[in-house]
Amino acid sequence: MPRLSVWFIRAALIALVLGTLVGSVLLAAKGMPAGDGFVRAVPLHAELLLIGWLVNLALGVAYWILPKHASARERGHPAPAWAALLLVNAGVIVVGYATMASAPALLLAGRVAEVAAVACFAAHAWSRVKPFGVGR
Amino acid sequence: MPTLSRWLIRTALVCCAAAFLLGLALVIAPLRAAYPVLAAAWPTYIHLLVVGWITQLIMGVAFWMFPRVQRRPALASDRPGWIVYASINLGLACRLIGEPVAAAHVGRPLGWLLPLSAALQLIGVVTFVIGIWPRVRTR
Repeated sequence: MPRLSVWFIRAALIALVLGTLVGSVLLAAKGMPAGDGFVRAVPLHAELLLIGWLVNLALGVAYWILPKHASARERGHPAPAWAALLLVNAGVIVVGYATMASAPALLLAGRVAEVAAVACFAAHAWSRVKPFGVGR
Repeated sequence: MPTLSRWLIRTALVCCAAAFLLGLALVIAPLRAAYPVLAAAWPTYIHLLVVGWITQLIMGVAFWMFPRVQRRPALASDRPGWIVYASINLGLACRLIGEPVAAAHVGRPLGWLLPLSAALQLIGVVTFVIGIWPRVRTR
């Protein structure tokens, strides 16, 4: 497994634990009379699991298993994919904080980082989406 | 494919089917009118999909495909996986029963089911991460 995939997948696993921890508190509180106070953490729970867990994992596995090139850099130039790793995780942290702090400007900044992450990863992966063996 | 992965992936498929059935029930107005408890089932529907289907499928494939740590025999390295399987699915079952009950009667008879579900799912996820972490590595 390439080093970048290790980083993506470990970030995904950390987000899975944090998102599940928040979700567990939300779920346990639901059974209690004073549980409604925790509702504002729902967007944080969703952000950690839908973006932090699933997107990090998907990008990490894609970087690992998509068909390789014949050139010396068999997975292509890694810089855009590293940028995607940094941007998606910065996005998750900023959006997570912004939803808890009710900070719309930060929320926008976090979402922009996430869009940029996807653009970077797509730029990296586009040429690797091809039949196995082609261009090797 | 290892036995553990087969169980995780087949149960994920069952959760997917169950979620789609529940999603269907949620949009049939006469059914919602006959069973008002369905109104509380939206979070259960989402979690059957995201935890029961997607996450359980990922766990099954990860236990199967991620590079194995050679030091440990396969059986020993599968042991945490069975804890994951039992915890996640018992946790989901508790939620399936507990959520409508809690919505109908806050803090009443089966109120303990949701904290139990939360604890079981957290145990399942933490056990999965501890079990799979050493297998997320460069060669």
